[in-house]
Amino acid sequence: MTILGTAFGMVFYLLQAVSGESGYAQNGEFEDAELDDYSFSCYSQLEVDGTQHLLTCAFDDPDVNSTNLEFEICGALLNVKCLTFDKLQEMYFIKTKKFLLIGDSEIHVKLGGKNITSKKLNIVKIVKPEAPFDIRVIYREGANDFLVTFNTSHSQKKYVKELMHEVAYRQEKNENDWMCVNLSSTKLTLLQRKLQPDAMYEIKVRSIPNANYFQGFWSEWSPTFHFRTPEITGGKMDPVLLTISILSFFSVALMVILACALWKKRIKPIVWPSLPDHKKTLEQLCKKPKKNLNVSFNPESFLDCQIHKVDGIQARDEAESFLQDTSPSQLDESEKQRLGGGMQGPIWPSEHAAITPKAFRGDSPFGCLAGSISMCEALVQPSSRSPDCREGCKNGPHVYQGLLLGPGTTNSTVPTPSTFQSGILTLNPTAQGQPMLTPLGSSQEEAYVTMSSFYQNQ
Amino acid sequence: MFHVSFRYIFGIPPLILVLLPVASSDCDIEGKDGREYQHVLMISINDLDTMIKNRTNCPNNEPKVLKKHACDDNKEGMFLYRAARKLKQFVKMNNSEDFNLHLSRVSQGTLQLLNCTPKEDNKSVKEQRKQKSLCSLGILLQKIKTCWNKILRGSKEH
Repeated sequence: MTILGTAFGMVFYLLQAVSGESGYAQNGEFEDAELDDYSFSCYSQLEVDGTQHLLTCAFDDPDVNSTNLEFEICGALLNVKCLTFDKLQEMYFIKTKKFLLIGDSEIHVKLGGKNITSKKLNIVKIVKPEAPFDIRVIYREGANDFLVTFNTSHSQKKYVKELMHEVAYRQEKNENDWMCVNLSSTKLTLLQRKLQPDAMYEIKVRSIPNANYFQGFWSEWSPTFHFRTPEITGGKMDPVLLTISILSFFSVALMVILACALWKKRIKPIVWPSLPDHKKTLEQLCKKPKKNLNVSFNPESFLDCQIHKVDGIQARDEAESFLQDTSPSQLDESEKQRLGGGMQGPIWPSEHAAITPKAFRGDSPFGCLAGSISMCEALVQPSSRSPDCREGCKNGPHVYQGLLLGPGTTNSTVPTPSTFQSGILTLNPTAQGQPMLTPLGSSQEEAYVTMSSFYQNQ
Repeated sequence: MFHVSFRYIFGIPPLILVLLPVASSDCDIEGKDGREYQHVLMISINDLDTMIKNRTNCPNNEPKVLKKHACDDNKEGMFLYRAARKLKQFVKMNNSEDFNLHLSRVSQGTLQLLNCTPKEDNKSVKEQRKQKSLCSLGILLQKIKTCWNKILRGSKEH
């Protein structure tokens, strides 16, 4: 029990002694001083004033009573052992050329000559560069970017020449939204498309040693520069570009309109030519030798002509008499009928639509020879009685002649006949002197007109 | 045969012991990576060289400086040590403050980077007292520069 009480008493006694509330401390002042935090930090600035360097130290705790405190640096000095700091308010500094810049130094905090605390440091490892200055932003319209330039006093210094710079910029309305870019040179390019148009920006820069031999801290920020980005250039186009775009638009529109308008007449026949129409081709061929010929397969062109239906027997008699008068050409009765029937005009093309295939079947061809052609001519002649359609009817038989052969060329040789498959009348003259009245088959309405005579007429 | 073995046993080891200090280097060089030399010492050496050229016209025949010592292989440290100590002798009152400070920086900085066992102090001090002209200083600085370059080149190769 006694021992226990003694033990408790000793514990309480020790607690009091440690806490110091009873004022037991022998050296109260010093112990109070030791309880304060005398930690400090320093930074150096080389060649800040010509060839002079600056070393600045300050306590980390601003509440420290630094009334009688002194700072001293020893080691890594030229020709001296130690140097004492000067005091300015709460800051301790020393401005000298006598830094060796090689090796470590010791900084002592002294109170009344007694060393309170010390710190070992290397002056080249606590370098704080001077703040950059003269930052400017130039807008380059041709390149659509902003050229940022700034200056630093370290470019003229001997020791701390290589620095790393940090450029920070933001839109003025965006608080704490800084964009940062690191660079080792004093020029920076900001792309316009990465910035907001028609906005106000602010920009600043700071530096730090490049961590080769000299190391340290960031410098103070440079003075801020303000610039405004241009508006969007979408509404304002280059006049030349605008003119070119308008002209090209109109030319394209014009080409589209022309293409639509001329599609059927001009473009489609070239791009997608249609199969030739035998009737039109025939008309074209007939038009060539005699341009004033009224060549047409349209029956309405011959409405003015008086076309009389010829009786078959009467036609034959007439044909025979005609042949006896003009030439010994021979015609088949069916051919006469055909020819006569052919003069009916409007019905003619439809009646003889199937002629040509029969020709290919090798039926004995009916050939309007030179003589037979003249017979045809003779047969056709009565149709030219009407004075109204003389021109046309004249053209009719003439055309017929043209179709068959040219005037006065009855005895000309006939080239190889060419036939149309579409059922056009084919004239198939034979030079072998086949009998003209050779029956061609059951159809009396068929009449063959070959294209070879057309070539002859040409 | 007995005489041959005797020679090898008692002759060669002492020879090695005698030659060992000659072959070995007396100094350890700390700044072999060249950072201290390139960023501090070389700047001071170049500034001193510029100041000397501006103040004097040195003759073509070079005065003999440290003729007994050279930046030989494995002797670079000792040469720099001697050269750095000799630089102190060129510090004068009639020089400018910057001149003296550069001299001190080269001298003291070099010595700080070397860890040498000093030898032949008396003789080197006498030799230094004889030659104190700026031209000699210029030549000495060039030799120091050359020797440092040799050290750095050697460290890069290794």
